[in-house]
Amino acid sequence: MKTITYILLLLSVSASAQNKPAALKPAVPVADSAIKDSAVNSTNVKADTAIKSKRSLHEVVISAGSFEASDRAKGASLTPIDAVTVAGSNGDISQALRSLPGAQQIGETEGLFVRGGTGEETRQFIDGTLVKTPNYPSVPGVPQYARINPFLFKGILFSSGGYSALYGEAMSSALILESVDLPEKTSASFFLFPSNMGTGFQHLSKNNRSSYGANLNYSNQSLYNSIVPQKPDYFSGPAYFNGNVNFRVRTGKTGMLKFYSNWGYSDVGMRNPDIDSAVLKAGYQAKGWNSYSNLSFRSYLNDNWKIDLAAAFSYNKEETNRDLSDPKGNMLKIPFIPYSYKTGQRTVRTDFAQLRAVVTHLFPQGQALRFGAEHFYTNDRGRSNDSALILADHLTAVFAEGDFYLTDNLAAKTGLRMEYSSALSKMVLAPRISLAYRLQDGSQFNLAYGVFYQQPGNDFLYQPNKLTFSNATHYILNYTRRANNRFFRAELYYKQYRDLVKTVPELSNNGKGYAQGIELFWRDKKSVKNLDYWITYTYLDTKRNFLDYPYQLRPSFAAPHTTTVAVKKFFQEINTSVNVSWAMAAGRPYYHISNNSIADQGNTNAYNMLNLHVAYLCSFFKNRKWKDFSGVAMGINNITGTRQVFGYNYSYNGLFKSPITLPATRNFFVGIFMSFGIDRTDDFLNNNL
Amino acid sequence: MKKLLITLSVALLSYSGFAQSNALQQAVSKLDQAQTVTDLEQLEKTFTGISAQPAWLSSYYAALCNAKIGFLLQDDGEKIEPYSNRGEEQAKRAIATLDSAKQHKELAEAYTVLSMIYRTKVFINPMTYGRKYGMLSDQVLKQARALDAQNPRALYVAAWVKYATPKMWGGDKQQAKQLATQSLQQLGTPGTDVYPHWGKAEDQALLSKIK
Repeated sequence: MKTITYILLLLSVSASAQNKPAALKPAVPVADSAIKDSAVNSTNVKADTAIKSKRSLHEVVISAGSFEASDRAKGASLTPIDAVTVAGSNGDISQALRSLPGAQQIGETEGLFVRGGTGEETRQFIDGTLVKTPNYPSVPGVPQYARINPFLFKGILFSSGGYSALYGEAMSSALILESVDLPEKTSASFFLFPSNMGTGFQHLSKNNRSSYGANLNYSNQSLYNSIVPQKPDYFSGPAYFNGNVNFRVRTGKTGMLKFYSNWGYSDVGMRNPDIDSAVLKAGYQAKGWNSYSNLSFRSYLNDNWKIDLAAAFSYNKEETNRDLSDPKGNMLKIPFIPYSYKTGQRTVRTDFAQLRAVVTHLFPQGQALRFGAEHFYTNDRGRSNDSALILADHLTAVFAEGDFYLTDNLAAKTGLRMEYSSALSKMVLAPRISLAYRLQDGSQFNLAYGVFYQQPGNDFLYQPNKLTFSNATHYILNYTRRANNRFFRAELYYKQYRDLVKTVPELSNNGKGYAQGIELFWRDKKSVKNLDYWITYTYLDTKRNFLDYPYQLRPSFAAPHTTTVAVKKFFQEINTSVNVSWAMAAGRPYYHISNNSIADQGNTNAYNMLNLHVAYLCSFFKNRKWKDFSGVAMGINNITGTRQVFGYNYSYNGLFKSPITLPATRNFFVGIFMSFGIDRTDDFLNNNL
Repeated sequence: MKKLLITLSVALLSYSGFAQSNALQQAVSKLDQAQTVTDLEQLEKTFTGISAQPAWLSSYYAALCNAKIGFLLQDDGEKIEPYSNRGEEQAKRAIATLDSAKQHKELAEAYTVLSMIYRTKVFINPMTYGRKYGMLSDQVLKQARALDAQNPRALYVAAWVKYATPKMWGGDKQQAKQLATQSLQQLGTPGTDVYPHWGKAEDQALLSKIK
């Protein structure tokens, strides 16, 4: 979980700083597929890069609305490792991406809040399949870890708007992730931090055509919490257990079959002072069982046809318990409002399955036509106190998309997506268009337009309803320039939200809203040797009327101004890498909404978060066969000890409010990690040269 | 008449051969002086157009131009790839032209340039290209040195790698100094003919950076 990321983060930061990171990365498969992809034989090169190489005739590449981090990044473009190794990201890809423009600095919950959208409006896709629950079950006020190691990916496309018709069900943002192929070598690793530990291995077959691996991680924060006091009083955990297995097989000349399965358990139980009474404590416990499995296959059929197939299944069970206790610890049930709301149980089991097929036809000059279909099946069963929660939904989507070059410097991508949901009995059509125009000096203008539909959350569909899809229309204008290992990007956008879900006065799609803003990004790897930094600025103007908002308001998850800085430096002489991230955001609004009106409101203090990670890298065993790459890592989050306030909880009568803050002012970690790899450089080269 | 024609055409052919090798000699002399990307781009075109014997030399020099361009552009990752790709093709063509049983010294030269070409691929973005091409570069350089242990240009590239690699991944400035000095000794007074003879300026530049 989070620690493994620290490790990789530190290792990889140092990797970027030098020219020969040959055997650097540890067991967990990181973005290293390039080796087999391109060296085993030349057809494989074609397999993965055909589109790109054909396209290199024209250098214009569609990129409005998205940040792409790829294992083929050049110059100052982001690599997957750049994107996920931001100090303070806790091993969560969506937290790491908060250092990019467009995302809000949300400290009280997990998820990626993009351009006036909620965390629910950003969806993650791995190899084409939707990851329904990327994080452990939510707990009020404390963000929960991600289940999936962010280093699993060789390609990360963070779209803050205007993404491809191949994806849907994400109104505000899509995180399109591509998992790694074969690992570079056989290896094993472990890490030990006081509250996190884990071990894993990857085995690569002798002929370099298949691999398998497994990882186990366990995290228990109770020891740490006994040393560093936390604001909630934890009576259980927080504990997280996670395992994953994978296999990957190269089939034929261009085929790749991959299987990844992740299963986990979590338990977080905590008590906070009850806001409506002086003496009572409010307890909350969330337990989760989850599995996510993904089987995917891609291959060229011949020079012009390519297929991508994927199937995913996930199971998720969440059990939450709320209770009230007196100072002696006796459980109470108080049968009147507001206390009657504070005790209860809820269990929901979700089965989710997806099948997906995409066919690509490549035309000369890098043009392409893609079309395909996917089907999502959701089945929820549960209980909330005494009422049953039931939902079954079949969502079918068909889509087509074309890449065209209108001239050498002008490219277009146009697509259309149709979705039908059985739970809503509705069909929708979503058009998408992007254009890219390349200027003489290599800089580029991009334009994008698209309509993005999303079903209301399952919670709204348990009760009888007449809901329909919510949707957002995006308009984006973007400018990028890359030169001399520097990268500048500016983006201007306007979005219109329609049919947002309202819960008051009754459940309906009468909500709406808008968002507009400008975002800047500057990265420079050149000016100072071995120093890599980026700076972003996000301006956001958004209002929406949804849920219980009495009218259109600036939502509580939207700050008008946000600035982030990420700095990475490797000190060669002392084998130490230093990674600093800093984020600052203007205050966010908060409201006390009562009886369909605003009883109280205000703005929180500005957010100001400085994180530092340091790693010392070394090698304990200098044996030739088993090289180890080890180190000591440490870090502090929120160094300055700023009291971050994310919002307020109000008492039922509205007379008291208590701030939602970090569970502890600062967060520390220190630990060691080791990775052993059989150095098979020679095998590899002998086979391939 | 027939005889005359034959004589004439033989004369013409040998003249064009002479002109070609003359062109090669001129280009090599220019390469000794070339400093900028533009110069090297020009020369690469020139070398590509030359068909003088021995055949491997024109590909070799074209690849060397691309390798040098890659080193000059090492802080501009966006631009390097087309040069590296062309250079790789040319270096491999030079290797294919050579007789692997007999021409060990020539092969060592070509492998050295191929090693430099792979190095330039690392510059595209060390994070994404570093591991694969760093490794390939090392391996190819090893091959060069196995074929000709005292090749001054292979020694120079080895020195450069020792210099540029961080300590914990095997970098060593003193070893770099030693290798560059050894390379200089091997070079002695470099020739000026078409056979590879570069390296002196490079060694000196590297040595001046090491205290």
